[in-house]
Amino acid sequence: MTTLSVTDRFDEPAAVKTGAAMVCASGLGVRLGDRQILRDIELTIRPRTMLVLLGANGAGKSTLLGALATLTPVTGKLELFGQTVNRDAAALRARIGMIGHQPMLYRDLTARENLVFFGDLYGVAQPQARAMQLLQRVGLADRAEDAVKTFSRGMTQRVAIARALMHEPELLLADEPFSGLDLASIDKLEALLDELRHEGKAIIVAHHDIAHALRFADEVAVMRRGRMTMHKAAAQLDEQALRQEVLA
Amino acid sequence: MMRTLRQLRTLVAKDLRLEARTRQTVGLVVVMAILIVTVLGLGLGPQQLASGFAAPAVLWVAYLFAGVLCFEKTMACERHDGALAALLLAPVDRGVIYFAKLISNLILIAAIAIVVTPVALVLFGFDLSAAPGAFVVTVGVSMIGFAAIGTLFSAAVNSTGVRGGPLAMVIFPISLPLVLASTHMLIKCFRDGEPITQTALAILIAFALIYLVVSWLVFEMILAPGSE
Amino acid sequence: MKLMKNTLITAYWLTTVALFIFALVLVFTWTPTESTMGDVQKIFYLHFPVAINTFLACLVNFIASLAYLWTRRRKYDDLAVASATVGVLLCTIVLMTGMIWGKSAWGEWWTWSPRLTFSLLLWLLYASYLMVRPSIESTTRRALVAAVYGVVAFLDVPLVWLSVRLMPDIHPNTIALEPKMWLTVAAFALPVTMLSFGLIFSRYALYRRENDRVEARQQEEEFNETADAAATLYHQGGLTS
Repeated sequence: MTTLSVTDRFDEPAAVKTGAAMVCASGLGVRLGDRQILRDIELTIRPRTMLVLLGANGAGKSTLLGALATLTPVTGKLELFGQTVNRDAAALRARIGMIGHQPMLYRDLTARENLVFFGDLYGVAQPQARAMQLLQRVGLADRAEDAVKTFSRGMTQRVAIARALMHEPELLLADEPFSGLDLASIDKLEALLDELRHEGKAIIVAHHDIAHALRFADEVAVMRRGRMTMHKAAAQLDEQALRQEVLA
Repeated sequence: MMRTLRQLRTLVAKDLRLEARTRQTVGLVVVMAILIVTVLGLGLGPQQLASGFAAPAVLWVAYLFAGVLCFEKTMACERHDGALAALLLAPVDRGVIYFAKLISNLILIAAIAIVVTPVALVLFGFDLSAAPGAFVVTVGVSMIGFAAIGTLFSAAVNSTGVRGGPLAMVIFPISLPLVLASTHMLIKCFRDGEPITQTALAILIAFALIYLVVSWLVFEMILAPGSE
Repeated sequence: MKLMKNTLITAYWLTTVALFIFALVLVFTWTPTESTMGDVQKIFYLHFPVAINTFLACLVNFIASLAYLWTRRRKYDDLAVASATVGVLLCTIVLMTGMIWGKSAWGEWWTWSPRLTFSLLLWLLYASYLMVRPSIESTTRRALVAAVYGVVAFLDVPLVWLSVRLMPDIHPNTIALEPKMWLTVAAFALPVTMLSFGLIFSRYALYRRENDRVEARQQEEEFNETADAAATLYHQGGLTS
């Protein structure tokens, strides 16, 4: 098995990978109370990248996403969009979108109301128009005026993605976005994420399906017990080797 | 500043819209509060009722229970489906989230009190005409302090666990000084016919302010991660 | 090392008991009897130091709660519970001795005098702290709620005091103490303080030991769970492949 690091793959056409790093973490750690949940994370993400985080439950994937979303105080170095994350991270947070395993929506409000509400919080110009445009994009324009609680799991997830995109984030974090979706929804979500990547966003997806991850990721990172044990271009990996790495 | 105000308005409008949509809280709480007032009225018997001064105490019991239900309901919508996480992700100051929730709670409690208070006053034969202004001010200031505490603890006590019990257990003892101070002020005012002194009012306002500031400061600490 | 620690602990408790006996002997043989209330007044020598220690226990609870909010370390939660438990215990003694006092001074076990009411409210404040804890299942959530409560409750104490002052005080009970009486108070203060802090720290040590065991077990289980999840994943080969 070759052990090229991810930086070795920039012999690809230069136009594909340009721009400063969106995420630059070095020696990143997270400590919650008595427990060291993450340690020694080294991670650089450039625009137009789809990184999939693999790892068993409790390996620290969600915590890492939380740390990158500036929700968790961290130790070590963390730079987002070239700026060091300090106490007042609100401005940086406004450039990040996140999809969690919960939809993070108000179930009694309609899809449109949810989006407009979050658009207002972010200070989006013309939130109404933006909300409709996004609902169109995720294929829910005809259900805009229905309460979210009437939606299926897949539809709710699409509203959740629209919510995460309301403020046009440059970095999109998704925690297990595929879990609980049927095959058709998985395909739709995958296509949508791919589109977003082509628009220039950096996307980090926590996932637990190894084969699926290899199909749509540019880069794959493996986490184990709070450490990042591997980070490589997906093209350099085969499923068997990756499986061994994840389950080691 | 403008942005903060706009965010406050957005958050409060969302809470009120949710309440208008589901119509769960106010209706339920109003009926429950009237129920409490009735039960206490039946329990007290004609002699105590005749004195006319059981009303402040009875009202407080109703407000306390109504408040706890109200705080719990308005926070439950944030817990459900993890909406609170989305709020925390947005570039909103944690203090703004706290104050928005506090304002929503106060609006709902005021709506409830407007219905329940006249009912209790009539049932207990409490004559408000002597000093209606003093009554409103005393109850209003105490409510601000009470809601400040309630908003803080409704965020801390996870409502997905046991409902009602723990929240009431933490809010009631903390609010006792407010109850004590305001009922004494009311009784002095209405039974003894003495106007409320500036000192007494200052103490009550100081209480409310202390609760407000402490809750606001502690609120930021509890939303830090690792709280789940 | 362990032996030495045990010897020290035994010596600490023996000293406390000896000082208690000394104070008791003092109060019955040396301290003059108060003229208006007679022998019942002697209860004051216990009442007063215990009241002070109730406050100290609450203070420890406040500091530990604040430390927990700041660091989220489990040990501060343990210290907070230990001090609240001792605080409630001491407050119970304050209430009881206060009631005995009230009975002999005013002929009633309970009057809504500011002082008695204050003790009762303080007792309620911290008894609620202890009672609400078991009703919250998640340990981190429980510790968090308790810490928030501990901080707010302590800051609430002066408010309780101020609010009870608004009540009409029908029983002024200021007593002029002779110097010998103050010395007796001091003689009681020492063992009472040793007792309360001894109790706080022995409880704290007990909780620490228990929680260390629980945490060790949890970590082991968590490891197994991780291994389980990994194994399931391997056998299923993921979801869609």
